Amino acid sequence: MATLIHTLPFLVDGLLTTLLVSACVIVLSLIIGLPLGCVLAFGPLWARAPIRLYADFVRGVPILVLLYFVYYGLPAIKVNLPSLLSAIVALTAFKSAQIIEITRGSFQSIPSGQTEAAKAIGLSLFDRFIHVLAPQAVRRFLPPFVNSVVDTVKGSSLVSLLGIVDLMLSLQQVIGRTHVALPLYLIGALMYFAINFPLSALSRRLEKRFV
Amino acid sequence: MAKTDARASAETPVIAIEGLTKSFGAHQVLKGVDLRVGRGEVVAIIGPSGSGKTTLLRCINFLEEYDGGSIRIDGTEVGYRDGSGARRRRSDRELAAIRVDAAMVFQQFNLFPHLTAAQNIMLGLMKSRGRSKAEARAIAEKWLARVGLAAKVDALPSQMSGGQQQRVGIARAVAMEPKVLLLDEITSALDPELVGEVLAVVQELAAEGRTMILVTHEMAFAQEVADRVVFTDQGRIVIDAPPAKVFGEQPHERLRSFLSRFVGFRPNPA
Amino acid sequence: MANYHFNFAIVWRYAGKLFEGLLLSLELAAASIAIGMAIGLVLALISLDGPKWARPLIAAYVEFVRNVPLLLLVYLVFYGIPSAIDLQYDAITSFVATLSIYSGAYLVEVMRAGLEAVPRGLIEAGKSIGLTPMKVLWHVRLPTAMRIALPSLSNTYVSLFKDTSIASAIAVPELAYGMRWIETQTFRTVEVYLLATPIYLITSYAILLLLRLAERRYSVAR
Repeated sequence: MATLIHTLPFLVDGLLTTLLVSACVIVLSLIIGLPLGCVLAFGPLWARAPIRLYADFVRGVPILVLLYFVYYGLPAIKVNLPSLLSAIVALTAFKSAQIIEITRGSFQSIPSGQTEAAKAIGLSLFDRFIHVLAPQAVRRFLPPFVNSVVDTVKGSSLVSLLGIVDLMLSLQQVIGRTHVALPLYLIGALMYFAINFPLSALSRRLEKRFV
Repeated sequence: MAKTDARASAETPVIAIEGLTKSFGAHQVLKGVDLRVGRGEVVAIIGPSGSGKTTLLRCINFLEEYDGGSIRIDGTEVGYRDGSGARRRRSDRELAAIRVDAAMVFQQFNLFPHLTAAQNIMLGLMKSRGRSKAEARAIAEKWLARVGLAAKVDALPSQMSGGQQQRVGIARAVAMEPKVLLLDEITSALDPELVGEVLAVVQELAAEGRTMILVTHEMAFAQEVADRVVFTDQGRIVIDAPPAKVFGEQPHERLRSFLSRFVGFRPNPA
Repeated sequence: MANYHFNFAIVWRYAGKLFEGLLLSLELAAASIAIGMAIGLVLALISLDGPKWARPLIAAYVEFVRNVPLLLLVYLVFYGIPSAIDLQYDAITSFVATLSIYSGAYLVEVMRAGLEAVPRGLIEAGKSIGLTPMKVLWHVRLPTAMRIALPSLSNTYVSLFKDTSIASAIAVPELAYGMRWIETQTFRTVEVYLLATPIYLITSYAILLLLRLAERRYSVAR
């Protein structure tokens, strides 16, 4: 028991790295994914095609393969990124594809009657977007987005395979030293659960409220 | 084809449609439609489904682009700028300005679900009529009271019955003070017991002398409220005459078979 | 990029390794999905029709598994459990068990939504022609629920196929493991990824396409 308490600060350090990676990935993916998702919903074909291709490509490949690709593959063509940056780049590539899809879906699931009613009272394209489409899209966007934050935190555990000392790898290291495997894995699981469960619950509440 | 009412051609018509054609792919929905609606006139469009009546209405608000012919509201061509020969689609800004002249009430209400009843009405007033928030609010409250929903000013659409939602839909449209009000089967999505409250509102607006075009399946209502009844079939206007004439003599074979489907409706030539 | 010299010949020699890896990935996914579907279906039925006390237990299982990384569950089952109790199993068995438990938690939700969406009238119609509750379940509720759930199931299945790549973390020689292995043998990194990535892509979309065809064929006209 004493050893477990001893290792706690070490695990918390790992947890902070997990949170840092997740937060970077989420913010960057929103910056990339929201505008591209809007283009995919409203843009002309020549702009939609490359975005569609990117999103479908990235979502057809396991995250782990994307991670390996950025970390081991890119150096072969002289792009050397430190491991933490590689991890963030790879996870962002995946997450932004998801944000693109969620954004597109949020707009396209709004019935066409909404746009028609807005046109009928003479709203311009800009006003239709700001006052009619965007507020409704946000409500549709939030539940799957919060869910996808949970997936990001879970998926960030894969960065341990690149040697980044996140919660997952710090668990492995503590277990390597103490040989107390099962209790430590359970503690780790509870730490992930403590972050993700409130988010999952929030997502469900948003869904009930908005749909 | 019956001749257009003399009254409509006397002055500049509010709506003047000439030779309107529209196709969806290979299927031609409108095959050259002519229709004039004078100020203060109420025109009911009836006809079998697929006869093009809803498409006609939607073209007037340019929710559908039309292929040929012209639609003028008070002399202004709706969707296109007819310059030197070639038709050019109007810019979004121009369209927005023209669309407010013809406000539409929809079959599925299409209220904005994130806005209250008052906000639904205020949005167009503020953004396209340039009213201040206070003015818009006052107008919204006035109209909601007129349609009997003074108590629902701050209710969300999800907190209202279908009939109440549709009355907000009507208020949203008339509050814009359009030159013509377009009503697209506005009672079709309602439970039978809610139809009456909505039609009562329309009747009152008609009595005020507002110009209206309504597509409807309520034959008795069309007969009662309309100055003219237009019967469309297979993309053309087959009959355009006062209700007494349309429902009285039943001069046309297709109209007779169409009307025979409305069980319980007995045309009463006034 | 410009001065990279491609050499597919070396990598090609190991292509068999990738193919074996793909087969194993598909087997892992198929086995886990089969077991996961059984778990999901049974628990969905219990949480809908079963005793009230079972519901919080099922919810606890679903919530725990869905909010913890798959990688951690994989380690927990492969390293954690054998360290605490006297139970031995190989990496493949361990991974299939983990992915089954993991997929079960997702499939419970999908199947419950599907079962709940079966129109009441259909069940009543089944009863009125004299079917027992068991027969109503088997001939009316399940087939209808499956058809309703198919679109969600398709997405879940493809995700689970991609998740098999995590088995490489405990040295199960599936596709991602094969990919890394060839890379360390040949150092022909770019070629390996140019070969392996399309394999994942094509397989993912092939699975999706097959399920979409099934959806079209069996879709409920609603």
